[in-house]
Amino acid sequence: MAQEKILLIDDEENILMLYQQELLEDGYQVHIAQSAREGIDKIKAELFDLVVMDIRMPAMDGLEALGRILGLKKNIPVVLNTAYSNYKDDFMSWAADAYVVKSSDLTQLKTTIRAVLDKKKSSS
Amino acid sequence: MKKVLAMILAGGKGERLYPLTRDRAKPAVPFGAAYRIIDFSLSNCINSGIRWIYILTQYKSLSLDRHIQTGWNFLSMRMGEFINVIPAQQRIHESWYQGTADAIFQNIYTLQMERPDLVLVLSGDHVYKMDYGDLINYHLKVKAELTIATIEIDKKNCREFGVIQVNRQGKIVGFQEKPTVPKTVLNNPDAVLINMGVYVFNTETLVKRLIEDAKNKDTEHDFGKNIIPLMIKKDRVFSFPFIDKNTKKPGYWRDVGTLEAYWETSMDMLAEQPNVDMYDPEWPILTYEEGAMPAKIEGRCEKDGIVFGSVYNSIISRGCLIRTGYIERSILSPNVMVEPFSTITDSILMNNVEIGKNCRIQRAIIDKGVRIPDGTDIGYNLKNDRKRFTVTDSGIVVIQKGTAF
Repeated sequence: MAQEKILLIDDEENILMLYQQELLEDGYQVHIAQSAREGIDKIKAELFDLVVMDIRMPAMDGLEALGRILGLKKNIPVVLNTAYSNYKDDFMSWAADAYVVKSSDLTQLKTTIRAVLDKKKSSS
Repeated sequence: MKKVLAMILAGGKGERLYPLTRDRAKPAVPFGAAYRIIDFSLSNCINSGIRWIYILTQYKSLSLDRHIQTGWNFLSMRMGEFINVIPAQQRIHESWYQGTADAIFQNIYTLQMERPDLVLVLSGDHVYKMDYGDLINYHLKVKAELTIATIEIDKKNCREFGVIQVNRQGKIVGFQEKPTVPKTVLNNPDAVLINMGVYVFNTETLVKRLIEDAKNKDTEHDFGKNIIPLMIKKDRVFSFPFIDKNTKKPGYWRDVGTLEAYWETSMDMLAEQPNVDMYDPEWPILTYEEGAMPAKIEGRCEKDGIVFGSVYNSIISRGCLIRTGYIERSILSPNVMVEPFSTITDSILMNNVEIGKNCRIQRAIIDKGVRIPDGTDIGYNLKNDRKRFTVTDSGIVVIQKGTAF
């Protein structure tokens, strides 16, 4: 089976490194972007199976980026991954396929990624 | 009290109203001498107590924008009331609105900012008087997620509309968008129930369905074609029959989408008891009022069996000067000038039109500022008129803004 390709978008480099390492170990192919703008450019240029994105980022936040990703009509699932739970009330966040609050334990994020990918597979 | 936000869709191109839409969006097309089409939806909002209003524009919005700024700037921002025009902002994708549902979805940020309980979605190009309060109360009473205002019409006329089927409780169970074989209402095989394009949504359900629609590839992002069928499957969707409170019959509602419909709806206003009562003190239709002197009709002179200096069955606005002319069944907007011995029948003359001497005008729509030279006939030789102007199938001659003779 071809490796599933995940794009991580987060402005914090240490988070990107940590997630990348963990997800690589789980057998995913992992790409990173350190800003929403860079992430959108990557999504425009190549195909990903899933995007994991932070919300609070400088220049363009994750909710605005989520709108733009939807507008690209590439049908890529997005998992929002943020340290804050209050963005759940923001209508735009409802457009994400999942919302995970950041934690040092990545179990929930990993389970969610798996579930979203499986759901995408079963519906396509 | 529930927080209700109105969103008026004013972004359509209005191609079937061309050339009246050559320089303006459809809701900004002048109507009924002193009004713009959008004044009806806006007045309905104000008279229904709705004071949170966004108007979503995109094409040719300057004229509409100016009208709103000059005629509709009376609400108090201090009291939290507003009528704001939102042009397409391209916050989600780099193209213009792809459909009516996309127009609202692209403004999901606005909904987030205001967080209303209910969203009233309206069209800016319908002529009718309706108390949205009744619709909203009904929506709350039946605990619907979406309530659609509907009206019963003859099934022969339903080609351009969405046709709705309801059960005995008023819940919508079927919907056909512009059908060739429409399903008629239960007790009348000649009547169908149509979608008026007036919707009340519970905001959260609306947002969820708009997101679903935005993610879908096989959609035109249109309320009629996509959102309503989706919601009928998933949600409680009800029909609110639009009934005239006085006559208890279906209310008067017109989609002024074509030149023919525009002309006919305009002429309806000349009836002795017009379907849209503009004199109702409880339901004023508001607009921008131009300062001009009162209308004046000069002279009296009989010539070729016609009494010039007379006006029959017409609407004459402020600033009009009719100098020994003859006007019958016509609508004159402010500041129209008619020179001696000209006859005008069954016509619509917009602001600042000038008709020279010895002209004969019938069944014509003349857009703003056009000057018709002395001795011109319009509407008497359609073959000739077709060479210079737009002429509809039923023979109405439309002369566009800026036409030079």
